[in-house]
Amino acid sequence: MAGEQYAKDHPGFSVNVIETSSDDCQTKLTTCANAGDYSTMPDIVLMQDNSYQKFLLSYPDAFTDLSSMDINWDDFGALKQAYSMKDGVHYGVPFDNGGCIACYRTDVLDEAGYTVADLTDITWSRFMEIGKDVHEKTGKYLLTSEAAGGDTIMMMIQSCGANWVDDEGKAYIAGNEVGEKCVDIYAEMIQNDVVKLVNNWDEYISTITGGEAAGVINGNWITATLMSTEDQKGLWEITNLPKVDGVDSATNYANNGGSSWYITSNCQNVELAMDFLAKTFGSSTEFYDAILPETGAVACYLPAGESTVYNEPNAFFNDQPIFATIVEYSSHIPAFKSTPYHYEAREAVNTAIVNIVGGTDKAAALDEAQSTLEFKMTE
Amino acid sequence: MTEKKNKSAIQRRLIPTYIFLIIVSFISVFPLYWMISAATNTSTDVSRGRILPGGYLAENFKNLLAQQPLWKALGNSFFYAVLTTVVCLLICSIAGYGFEVYHDKAKDKLFSILLLAMMVPQVATMVPLFQMFSKAKLLNTAVGFILPMISTPFMIMMFRQNARAFPVDIIEAARIDGLNEVQIFFRMFFPTMRSTYAAAGVIAFMNAWNAYLWPKVIMTDNNSITMPMLIANLITGYVTDYGMLMCGVLFCSIPTMIVFFVLQKQFAEGITGAVK
Amino acid sequence: MDAKKKGMTLLAKQRAAGWAFLTPAALMIAIMSFYPMVRAFMISLQKGTGANMQFTGFSNYQRILADKVFQQSIGNTFLYLIIQVPIMLVLAILLAQLLNNRDLKLRGLFRTCVFLPCATSLVSYALIFRSLFATDGLINSVLMKLHILDQGYNFLGNALSAKIVIIIALIWRWTGYNMVFYLAALQNIEYSVYEAAKIDGANGWKTFWGITVPLLKPTIIMTFIMSINGTLQLFDESVNLTKGGPANTTITMSHYIYNTCFINVPNFGYASAMSFLVFIMVAVLAFINLKVGDTRD
Repeated sequence: MAGEQYAKDHPGFSVNVIETSSDDCQTKLTTCANAGDYSTMPDIVLMQDNSYQKFLLSYPDAFTDLSSMDINWDDFGALKQAYSMKDGVHYGVPFDNGGCIACYRTDVLDEAGYTVADLTDITWSRFMEIGKDVHEKTGKYLLTSEAAGGDTIMMMIQSCGANWVDDEGKAYIAGNEVGEKCVDIYAEMIQNDVVKLVNNWDEYISTITGGEAAGVINGNWITATLMSTEDQKGLWEITNLPKVDGVDSATNYANNGGSSWYITSNCQNVELAMDFLAKTFGSSTEFYDAILPETGAVACYLPAGESTVYNEPNAFFNDQPIFATIVEYSSHIPAFKSTPYHYEAREAVNTAIVNIVGGTDKAAALDEAQSTLEFKMTE
Repeated sequence: MTEKKNKSAIQRRLIPTYIFLIIVSFISVFPLYWMISAATNTSTDVSRGRILPGGYLAENFKNLLAQQPLWKALGNSFFYAVLTTVVCLLICSIAGYGFEVYHDKAKDKLFSILLLAMMVPQVATMVPLFQMFSKAKLLNTAVGFILPMISTPFMIMMFRQNARAFPVDIIEAARIDGLNEVQIFFRMFFPTMRSTYAAAGVIAFMNAWNAYLWPKVIMTDNNSITMPMLIANLITGYVTDYGMLMCGVLFCSIPTMIVFFVLQKQFAEGITGAVK
Repeated sequence: MDAKKKGMTLLAKQRAAGWAFLTPAALMIAIMSFYPMVRAFMISLQKGTGANMQFTGFSNYQRILADKVFQQSIGNTFLYLIIQVPIMLVLAILLAQLLNNRDLKLRGLFRTCVFLPCATSLVSYALIFRSLFATDGLINSVLMKLHILDQGYNFLGNALSAKIVIIIALIWRWTGYNMVFYLAALQNIEYSVYEAAKIDGANGWKTFWGITVPLLKPTIIMTFIMSINGTLQLFDESVNLTKGGPANTTITMSHYIYNTCFINVPNFGYASAMSFLVFIMVAVLAFINLKVGDTRD
């Protein structure tokens, strides 16, 4: 897609796109990089934002410094830039927006006597009250969440501009005040049938398609999944996230997932690659308008949100202009200390939560998570 | 008359066996049924757990063809799997025969050492293997694809175990007839052990057909896509179309089943007569 | 004198042929398995990533002693091994025996049915097991209809039941695979042996244990080693069915090693060390098995 757009102005240019699932892409890059052989890497790769820091840590010479690129970096949110930066140097062009949204079934809320406005700009404790009520009246869950590999807890803590590491990047789970508040709320919601805790992604999807979930909170890419359930058309609406109670830095915005473009050190024509990225992903709202309908990829590029294409009402979401809203939300997301150990931290905390819900003492479970993460951080 | 009576008596005695086999078959086949049924439903219906077949097969198939190079992937997979199977059977059966028929202390020792290779975890060797293949310029080649799969201790072991049943008399007789060792293998052993070859062929074909991690790592261009890679691509992205996915999975599963069905007669029907 | 000389050369010729026969296979294995394994062992003595590897001695092996999750994964894997492998192999022999009966009709069809599970692609197999055992899945619906359960049970969400689901899935998938080897091996047992047993008045059960099992011994040893190996390197079921959860209670060694390489910040030195441990475990078990079972010499 981008290749076609760029070739209009630059004849003779062609892009060879290799499609690879995200996990496989990582497996492959890791294998090549660890073998010390970058020659099989493509010129440009699209990579998960949550993974990038670990690659940068492990294989610093695998990627190209983009500082000299002709691009206005502030057209992207601060957080989005931070995902692909190290020591003030840019390595990636943010592309796929991971800004989080809360989606609710208006028909279910209606049955329980609520509207989406009641769930906008609220705190998690209010969310819990409504959730209990909704579950009592309708038997449905206001939120569905994955037990292993789930992102809910990460979105909660990151919406406060915090993370499971301290400013120096050290493990910070035990004694993390903000984190403990998130864990408390989350565990209580699970125990009170506000959150349906599922075991895997399929179950997650089926709680949505099966109508068991009245609400979903995730990166905005979840809209594509929702929209595939055609008989729920017009029943969904989106709004911002609940925020964590009693934390000064708490906001109603977070990020989950998304991805950026990187130029690998295998690229033979760095200038051309940079120019390509700058002219398309880095500066062209027309370009983003063109790819939105076909790929459903929402831009991180903030000016894109102002275009008419982005502001078109979406029939599935009760005629809300969701794409412009998402881009707008993503400008409010607080930055936090990102860590190469993202997946390790998520795993450790999710394990702790399963144990807490299962009856383990909270302090003990978090201490355990702390030592697991510390262990992973040492070599 | 009595023979007929006998037959029906035998069948009657087999009734519990039939019942048992029908239950086992049902349990075994149910997921296959589910897969076929899922391929005929919409994604939403599949994730809602619909078990009955629907009328969406053509649509799923059309989507699959539009999104993925199905025929190319099928062709590639078939080519690699057949190539791997043929080469693997040849190399391993000769080795298994060699180990058994000419066995002595030294060869037994060597065999034990080779067995160790079976226990080498794949994750551990992937990076060194990749380095080797990259240095040898074998990335993106069929040779690179099949090399790690053509000689497996397991196959050698299987042929060795089965070669024990191959009577020494035949070999002696053939030697007296003036056949040399290579001729004995190809003219005597090869036709006699049809059942072993058929069973090994099924296994080798299945392994090669389903190989995923290694091919993914060394095949870097789109032209060498195989069926397991195509399936993996279907799960990529933010939305999974389960109906289309199952349609793809169906295409991925059928060839192995056909190969099994065709070869099972070979390895399960009596050919004991040939050995005598 | 002459005859003896000729005999010697013949024997030497045969011996040479023997070595020639197994050379290609042995060479391939040496290059494709042993050489990379030696390299992996060197990596296990290093830390760091990519080009920045440094020698650290045996510190990666010491690290295993402090790694609780890996230790848990060892426990999980061995539990699968002890419970699943015997059940599966007995079932496979039984099925092979039944399906080898010449009087049985529709043999080919039954055989294909039993084999089908291992030909079914992993993706669909994982999907269906997840949906079968989901809280609102088919198994729960049936149990609720039979009034065994009042409400859906979260099979994959509880440590014990999740392990059981994994074991059931393994038996389901690999029994037919093992049956293939037994079927092929049963061909080598002369039918007359059975006839003789029948005349002696042995019933089905007696023939099974008295004749079939002893004669299948080499194959049983082979499948046993193969299953030990397969189970100790178990990966797909842990990844696809439970993601190792809940709270790492079903994670396997290979799954954890894979995570160490490809999901977490890559640590190939440590992953190689763990792989070596797995290798040693399999090797030890396999050789005990061979020593106990191999009575030919």
